[in-house]
Amino acid sequence: MSALHFDTLVWHWPIAIYLFLAGASAGAMFFAVLLKHFVLKHNAYQSGFVQAACIVAPVAVMAGLGILVLDLTKPFDFWKILVFYNPKSVMSMGVLILLIYQVFMFMWIGLLFRKPIDAWCESRFPIVLKFTAWLSRFEATITGLLVIFSLALGAYTGFLLSALPGYPMLKNPVLPLLFLASGLSSGAASSLLGGVLLNANPNAKEVHFIHKVEIPLILVEIVLIFTFFMGLVLSGGQSKFAAFNAIGYGFWGWIFWIGIVGLGLSGPLAMNLFMTATSKRKWAYVAGTACLSLIGVLLLRNFILYTGQMTVV
Amino acid sequence: MENSKRRFLKGTCALLAGASGATLLATVSASNEAKADPSVKYALIHDETKCIGCKACEVACRETNHVPEGVARLKIEQTGPYGEYPNQFYHFSRKSCQHCEDAPCVNVCPTGAAFIDKETGIVSVDAWKCVGCQYCIAACPYKIRFINPVTHAADKCDFCRETNLAQGKQPACVAACPTKALVFGNLKDPTSQVVQVLKANPTQRAKVDLGTRPKLFRIVAKSGEVAI
Repeated sequence: MSALHFDTLVWHWPIAIYLFLAGASAGAMFFAVLLKHFVLKHNAYQSGFVQAACIVAPVAVMAGLGILVLDLTKPFDFWKILVFYNPKSVMSMGVLILLIYQVFMFMWIGLLFRKPIDAWCESRFPIVLKFTAWLSRFEATITGLLVIFSLALGAYTGFLLSALPGYPMLKNPVLPLLFLASGLSSGAASSLLGGVLLNANPNAKEVHFIHKVEIPLILVEIVLIFTFFMGLVLSGGQSKFAAFNAIGYGFWGWIFWIGIVGLGLSGPLAMNLFMTATSKRKWAYVAGTACLSLIGVLLLRNFILYTGQMTVV
Repeated sequence: MENSKRRFLKGTCALLAGASGATLLATVSASNEAKADPSVKYALIHDETKCIGCKACEVACRETNHVPEGVARLKIEQTGPYGEYPNQFYHFSRKSCQHCEDAPCVNVCPTGAAFIDKETGIVSVDAWKCVGCQYCIAACPYKIRFINPVTHAADKCDFCRETNLAQGKQPACVAACPTKALVFGNLKDPTSQVVQVLKANPTQRAKVDLGTRPKLFRIVAKSGEVAI
């Protein structure tokens, strides 16, 4: 059996990229809200890291949706997903979550940049000022709902796969939690990488805060991956076979141990602990750690998608 | 001026929310109606002891339902030979839609293109509603769904619901079988042949532990392999 082409493979790598982008968007928004409320307060929009998150989140979620639409066999019929809903379908509910998430995302970003937007529109489009003033009355509600919907979006990427009863490795209750945790850490990594690329200070308090959150997040991810495979092995039968087939040997075994456990989790964990200990952050350290995290998450999505479809009940 | 704009915006939002709510409610009530007891529930039995592997069913299905080359709604899978010369046998099993009562393909379909026909219990596909996300193909534990290269929609066996059954005939595969190895009929009718055969013979269904409650039964042939 070839690692990338086999009979039971239905969903290819574009779906993994979509899952990655949706998770990264949700994570970036989640960390942008955290940074604003716990670190930066009122002048949050001036921070390069928050700006990066506000660029990454919309671009990633829209690129992900674009990939999803192009991957349909009838791309021009995609509007039918928006018109017809099936409350029992995870994908249908996910589309609903994605749409509502984007509404709150744009409202929150608009409120975040209210000062520069108001200043720019004051003489040109005074009507916009009334709108932003009206919107700011609901700032707390918008923020709360954005957090809820970003977490829902992150978990949805896992539920999408765990709703497939024919694949014992994917039909796993830990998968949504694992994808949520790794989606959040990819969001943190993309705002760090974007921030330093926008010439923000790599030793800023935002970086200290994100790294402080990232260390427990990576530990949780390791625990979740362990629980994921332990659960499969203890379930026995095809689940056990699927687990050993995935991490035991071959191409995907290497991807898992070297790419995900090594580069994607242990690497960033060690770098974060090292940076916390030495306290001085450098550009290359922050960017390198973020890149490792992102590669790890992207590999994890592909690994789960492909190895999950290898074993059928 | 301001007020009318605001009212317009509010009205539009309410209309949109109402419209999507209405479609959601319609689907929920439709799925509730599906639970109401229909008088017809079709099932199929493949008697492997009678099947000779001639594949007349495959050909009849392709012709009747205009299934393009390269894909198939129905396949007869051959294993063997078993036993020692001169008493050798092949084993033939049918691979096609199991018409689950709790169908994973129907549950995952985002647009409702995959549906269970309320009147007959047949799992069917609305090719127009299908967008080709292939979620149903991934969800089906029996791996019998495919993308039709002509319509680009998901496709599979529908017991000839739109062709032979609509004309009051038996499904093409059943009519074509020379050894009468296929028995098709209404599970709700105690006098139907399908119920009589099911009562008189031990039958098996595939992957019942998934809770899918399939309606394709098989009478297992002696010639097969004992799998553990």
